Amino acid sequence: MQYELVLLTFLPLLGALAIAFTPKGAERLQRLAALATTLVVAALGVRLFLAYGDSGSDQGRFLFELPWFSLPSSYGADTAVNFKLGLDGVSLLMVTLTAVLMPIVILSTWGHVHKRVKEFMVWMLVMQTGMLGTFLALDLVLFYFFWEISLIPLYFLIGIWGGERRLYATVKFFLYTLAGSLVMMVAIIWILWTRGTSDVFELINILCRAPLTEQLWLFAAFALAFGIKVPLLPFHTWLPDAHTEAPTSGSVVLAGVLLKMGTYGLVRFCIHMLPGAAVEAAPVMMALGAIGILYGALLAWAQDDLKRLIACSSVSHLGYVVLGLFALTPAGINGGMLQMVNHGISTGLLFLLVGMIYERRHSRALDAFGGVAVAMPLFALFWVITTLSSVGLPGLNGFVGEYLVLVGAFQASPLWAIVGLSGVIFGAVYMLMATRRMLFGALDKPENRELTDLNAREIGLMLPLVALVVWLGVSPNTFMAKTQPSIEMVNLRIAEARRAALAGLDAAPAAPASQREESAR
Amino acid sequence: MNASVLKTLFSDAAYAALAPLFALGIGALAVLVAGLFPLGKVARAVLVLLTLLAAAALNVGMLLGDSVPGLVLDGTFVADRTTAMWGVIFTIGVGLAWLFSRHYYDEDASHQNEHDVLMLASALGMSLMAGARDLIVFFIGLELLSIPLYALAAFRRNRAKSVEAGLKYFLLGAFAAGFFLYGSALIYAVSGTLKLDVFADPASRAKILESPMALVGVAMLTGSLFFKISVFPFHLWVPDVYEGSPTPVTGLMATGTKAAAFAFLLNALLALPSSTSTSLAIIALITMALGNLGALVQQDVKRMLAYSGIAHAGVVLLGIAGAVAGDPKQGGAVQAALFYMAAYVATAGGAFGVLALLERDGERMTTLEGLKGLGQRRPYLAAALTVFMLSLAGIPATGGFLGKWMVFSVAVRAEMIPAAVVGVLLSVVALGYYLRVIIAMWMQEPGEDSPLASTRAIALPATLASAACVALVLVMGLAPRWFLDHM
Repeated sequence: MQYELVLLTFLPLLGALAIAFTPKGAERLQRLAALATTLVVAALGVRLFLAYGDSGSDQGRFLFELPWFSLPSSYGADTAVNFKLGLDGVSLLMVTLTAVLMPIVILSTWGHVHKRVKEFMVWMLVMQTGMLGTFLALDLVLFYFFWEISLIPLYFLIGIWGGERRLYATVKFFLYTLAGSLVMMVAIIWILWTRGTSDVFELINILCRAPLTEQLWLFAAFALAFGIKVPLLPFHTWLPDAHTEAPTSGSVVLAGVLLKMGTYGLVRFCIHMLPGAAVEAAPVMMALGAIGILYGALLAWAQDDLKRLIACSSVSHLGYVVLGLFALTPAGINGGMLQMVNHGISTGLLFLLVGMIYERRHSRALDAFGGVAVAMPLFALFWVITTLSSVGLPGLNGFVGEYLVLVGAFQASPLWAIVGLSGVIFGAVYMLMATRRMLFGALDKPENRELTDLNAREIGLMLPLVALVVWLGVSPNTFMAKTQPSIEMVNLRIAEARRAALAGLDAAPAAPASQREESAR
Repeated sequence: MNASVLKTLFSDAAYAALAPLFALGIGALAVLVAGLFPLGKVARAVLVLLTLLAAAALNVGMLLGDSVPGLVLDGTFVADRTTAMWGVIFTIGVGLAWLFSRHYYDEDASHQNEHDVLMLASALGMSLMAGARDLIVFFIGLELLSIPLYALAAFRRNRAKSVEAGLKYFLLGAFAAGFFLYGSALIYAVSGTLKLDVFADPASRAKILESPMALVGVAMLTGSLFFKISVFPFHLWVPDVYEGSPTPVTGLMATGTKAAAFAFLLNALLALPSSTSTSLAIIALITMALGNLGALVQQDVKRMLAYSGIAHAGVVLLGIAGAVAGDPKQGGAVQAALFYMAAYVATAGGAFGVLALLERDGERMTTLEGLKGLGQRRPYLAAALTVFMLSLAGIPATGGFLGKWMVFSVAVRAEMIPAAVVGVLLSVVALGYYLRVIIAMWMQEPGEDSPLASTRAIALPATLASAACVALVLVMGLAPRWFLDHM
């Protein structure tokens, strides 16, 4: 039995407990303890990433399994619910991203979290446990446990340290995501009862043979939960509110990792576990993704608030992920997976930068700025790099992902690929316009003249992310090679489901095409 | 009655079956008598504690033992693992209410003794209800529970609201009791027996239910049980009575009474033909909707929890509807209801207890306004109340989550999936008000009306009780194996 993953998952929780018992005023201690915890977790995460080879079991590595409890099943014997953690190609990048992003987030709180520091650090660390658990859980019930628990920390983070309308935003966020989750809960109850197992990989082998109607119902329930989290049009309205009101660090985690729980779920459950339904529903999901790209971009274009602009751009960027995943082609899925990481890094950086300028200027309105590049040249440098990464400049990370997504989508549906492509243009428009309005032009506002440039801490915390931006852009294969074996398993399932769908058509009475073909032969 | 009949009636098995009840009854009488002597507070408290512990121990013994007495007293009372588990739940519920009541009546503690006797008597009533297989035995249990509760509800007799609560509860409770008796009489007239066994055989059940008189009887019984579990359309008394009663008593009403009535309802399910499942499910959903919508607009947390209790009763009723429709898992509904109510007793019991503690510190502490900023002033109490709110809302890692999971599982197994989906969506509404309590405690600064930080230390019994509740809620949520295996 290996304990790496247990350690990785629960170390933040232990850190949170330890911090909870520190004296009230010891803010420095609490900050450093949180930073130390997340650094250790990051080191563990990177070690796991490096140790994860290109070959090996695709049904989860570093497995940890403990019997937990059991629930009724229709097979007489009860369904064993296990505490099962494991890493595979689908979760690897997400786990690493979560581990690496967290110390950066904690370091960023030096600038903007000044009240109730202890509680803040506790919730941040609890959230990390929730997110890591969600990605690592290979038991359906355990997954649901972590999935729902990870709502609570963000609820507090937004609710206590958020902006003006924080209470509205946090309740909206909670209720929206919970509504979707609970429908998924009913689906999980059904699966456990009828299939008698809660093991994700066993279910992946079992459920692909389920009748199509059942698959579609289950797909609908899962897709609702994940679609709200992603967020997929038309369930996206909670996101701009949550992002705008959240403290910088909350936004970074939300954009960087939390939303990816939704796309991760789409890959793991909707596509891999229910391939038949995925093939069937792909046109709808692609349409939602593509329209999301366009709509999110237009929304972002119309914003005057920087943070809201980036939040809306998130809707657009996650549209690419969904478009790519549901193209159900190897290129599309690879691109979607890569784009999940890219978005986490680029949007995380953007939120960090917005936070930094907000701490100085106490405004996020685009009109309040102008000529900031003169006052803050280093800030401008980072902003431009991040913007270019976000709009997909070749050589930076965004390009590879977007390119693969669009290639994959074009193979599946040229129409939605073209709609998505137009989003690339709009994306460049709103990001570059925002950049122009903020950084360039005349430095005519007295407040902006007094802005101080980034300090060493701020530069230091962004450097690792910028390095990743370049690394992912230049050498994406370092990352994709590791995910490849797992994604090939997904592709195999899809191919099987496609064949089954065709065979189903052949078997149906109204199949004149195939008969004609045969007679022609 | 000759000697041999008496011998079979009062066999060893009967004594074993009734041992927990004897413990409670003897204990209650002992406490009553002890009140005559100048024994001092501590000695009497020890007596109450010993009684509850003895009852709990006897029940746990039955739960873990190799054999159970089964049906005794000529088939009118059953003692099996299920009733033993109910017994444990009741003693926990009463024990919690008792611990929280320790310092609640500080300004007028002159009748603490009678208060304790009434609480023990109500525990006896609950245990009798859970094991009853006969309408009259159940009725005795019901009255043994209800009459102490009428008195307890009005226990703060110098406060108009408390007296009003007691009177309201008494009047409506008396009607419900009347309905129950009349319904029993009608069923007796048709079937010639008061034992529930006659319904066990589908043929004889069908024959009895052919008669409109028996149908009216069953409807009246159902109505009076619905009154006790506070289900639509018999739920209107709940908010006023819960609000007016002394808070520890409210906790007892919300948890113990409801659990006992559900225990019997699960036994009496046999009498309901499967065709009623749809109407039961609809009633359950209406109850959930009314409870949740009612709770949304409350400013007083006690009232809010009263409405939330209505909604929770609706959830369990949905599970019961599933069982009536035909749960393919034998005993699944009983297990689900037991787990749900056990979690609810710990959760709601704890929540009312914490409210009782806060109330002691000032008049209006139980409003949302009064809870503002509690997280800063009293972090431990606020943390406990947060855990209870999350458990009531059914968030994972709490007992409430698994309870909800299991009850909805019954509905899913019975293929009532649309009802299950509507049910879970209604529980999203519930989150709206549970979150408001958390918001008030952690996310809002104390308002002008909020009482200042109290310097009063929390008494030991209440601290223990709150800690026990939190522990129980978390253990049931994180390591539920023991509970699931024994339910």
